[in-house]
Amino acid sequence: MNASRHLLDLDDADHAFIEALIARARQFKAGVPNESSRLRGRIVVGMFFEPSTRTTMSFAVAAQRLGATWLDFRAESSSLAKGESLEDTMRTIRALGADAVVVRHAEAGFPHLLARHFEGSVYNAGDGAHAHPTQGLLDAMTLAEEFGDLHGRRLVIAGDIRHSRVARSSAQAAAALGATVTLCGPPSLIPATAPGWGFAELATDLESVLPTADAVMLLRIQQERAAGDMPPPADLARSYGLTAARANALPAHAIIMHPGPVNRGLELDSALVHGARSRIERQVENGVYMRMACLERNLGAQTRTRVA
Amino acid sequence: MIGVNLDRSGNRDFVGGRVVDPGLGLDAIRTIVVRRGKVVALLEGAPAAIDAECERIDCAGMVLCPGFIDPHVHLREPGDLHKETVASGLAAAAAGGFTAVAAMPNTRPPIDTPDRVAALVREAKAAGGPHCYPIGAVSVGREGLEIAALRGMAASGAVAFSDDGAATRSLKTLYNAARYTADLPQPFLSHCEDPSFADAVMHEGATSEKLGLAGSPPVAEAAIAARDILVAQATKKAWHLCHVSAAQTVEVLRWARAACIAVTAEVTPHHLQLDDERLAGFQARDRVNPPLRSAADTAALRQAVADGVITVFASDHAPHGADEKDAPFAHACVGFTGLEVAVAATFHALPQLPLAVMVANFSTNPAALLHVPGGTLAPGSPADITGLYLQRPWTVEPRDFRSKGRVTPFAGMTFAVRPALVVVGGNVIMRDGDLSASALAKPAAKAKT
Repeated sequence: MNASRHLLDLDDADHAFIEALIARARQFKAGVPNESSRLRGRIVVGMFFEPSTRTTMSFAVAAQRLGATWLDFRAESSSLAKGESLEDTMRTIRALGADAVVVRHAEAGFPHLLARHFEGSVYNAGDGAHAHPTQGLLDAMTLAEEFGDLHGRRLVIAGDIRHSRVARSSAQAAAALGATVTLCGPPSLIPATAPGWGFAELATDLESVLPTADAVMLLRIQQERAAGDMPPPADLARSYGLTAARANALPAHAIIMHPGPVNRGLELDSALVHGARSRIERQVENGVYMRMACLERNLGAQTRTRVA
Repeated sequence: MIGVNLDRSGNRDFVGGRVVDPGLGLDAIRTIVVRRGKVVALLEGAPAAIDAECERIDCAGMVLCPGFIDPHVHLREPGDLHKETVASGLAAAAAGGFTAVAAMPNTRPPIDTPDRVAALVREAKAAGGPHCYPIGAVSVGREGLEIAALRGMAASGAVAFSDDGAATRSLKTLYNAARYTADLPQPFLSHCEDPSFADAVMHEGATSEKLGLAGSPPVAEAAIAARDILVAQATKKAWHLCHVSAAQTVEVLRWARAACIAVTAEVTPHHLQLDDERLAGFQARDRVNPPLRSAADTAALRQAVADGVITVFASDHAPHGADEKDAPFAHACVGFTGLEVAVAATFHALPQLPLAVMVANFSTNPAALLHVPGGTLAPGSPADITGLYLQRPWTVEPRDFRSKGRVTPFAGMTFAVRPALVVVGGNVIMRDGDLSASALAKPAAKAKT
């Protein structure tokens, strides 16, 4: 992964890889001279097969601040929707001069398939319940800003872990930086056996893990999910939502994170969304800088190979 | 032509092979004397002269078995001729060492009427080569709601009934279909997967958790297996479970065995040895129903074969176009082409199993299950023979397949056992991979009909 021209997931992302991206993102945050010339002439295509406002805007802002051209591939009216094969579509996009695609798709593994058919760089902006690597990296950046070294720190991720691509990537990134990660949810929505995904602690009682948390991340309860998989949202929130009363059990220094958008009063009490512990806006802000670092890393030094 | 005998008289002597016939309790060097398509004698050793008029085929070094019968293949005709045709599928069967196959009815349209059963019988006759036995759908359109014309399909040549591809949705339909045909020999073949897990694309386990893919747990199979076995018990109908994949299903089978319920089961070469970790890199090509499960499940399946709880081998030959497998998970076609690797891959998975048991599971038991001729080389039986080399290593190269399907998880693997001879009705249709002595060599003829 570290040598890859793609950013598909964080399976192989190690400490050094993540540290370097965070360091660069923090430079962008502090101000880098001539940032808008970094990717001048590069073309980045957003392929969002699933609605996304925040991530699309964040990637588009990041690309444009670096001087790249951001193009929107209209997935719903595309040739793919008309039956063109994925391979043919990706060859066409490459022939148009695209250096990178940023893809969001409802299906896990879709960016991996795309990467097999595209000679440029593929950025995964969320694939089904699998991964959301730039979210994981921006969360790691937010944690590192707060705590510095993450060794000895505990991140609790609560709610529907099973269906969350954010949980997978954020847990991986935090763990790679040395944090202990606790996945907290009902038994049907967390990994079946510990350690979860090979490294994470598991818990089913939120209240018992809050007193030792340095950061707690709530996940959006997906109210649109099909029946059969999910309990009623309110029933899940009753045990795994962060109420004001539960937040009082957190240590004084602990922070609250959420990938957004928040269901106020469901997984997170309204009063906590913009409260003193909340880093939710900081996450959004850091997202732009982290995506700038990610785009620059794979596109900045690349000698462009044009397709004849 | 050298080495190719187009004599279709069915008079031949297969000399000096190691004949393994579990039904006869035979494992010895014998010469199989075949006249007019039937075995007439098994002579000891390799007699020098038998009948100068008849072709003499030297089988020294080869294991000769009653013809292998694959009870579970998908020939894709009608409806998906780009994936496979009856002719290409039967050529694949011959190349893979099979003298007969039973074809599942999940074609487009499904084989759910007597006419469609009869059409498949005609198509297979025209293709020549291995026998092809149709399996009729249990329900109209395989929708699991209305009972199909089961008695008419039986009269037209259906050897079994199955809604394979999915479990029969309605218990009431399944129960009444079994009662309706309780006096017929045709067994029911169950595809055990609970329909409510239809969104699953792989086994539910650590790998699906990590990939964030929807998984199907073993209980999705075992629960339907238990349901259908209880129907078998209630209706006294002969029953068979297709492609068992989970240890929990084996436990259900052990219970059925102890309760003396007439149920048999089959296993595929992929479920015997490949596990869900193969999908770790989002390899949608390795998607199959039922899914590749855990390593513990594969071990339980091998033990079930060793214990005689699973007694039938099947390829679940499911050819697709390469493009149809190279797609996002939810859209990737499900299954592998199997006929040309099944024998070698199954031997590979079960190196400790006695040869006689291997042969029983490939021949004697499927013949008994489907009530079709063959399964033995006893004098008077049809001269359907499979010849194998036990030590002739070869590497799976899908480009060389006769099947139109080229996707197999066994590609590039090296196996010791190689089918080398297929004889149907006394006529050699495959020898060392060569089909030129059979009608299968001219598949183009079909297009004119």
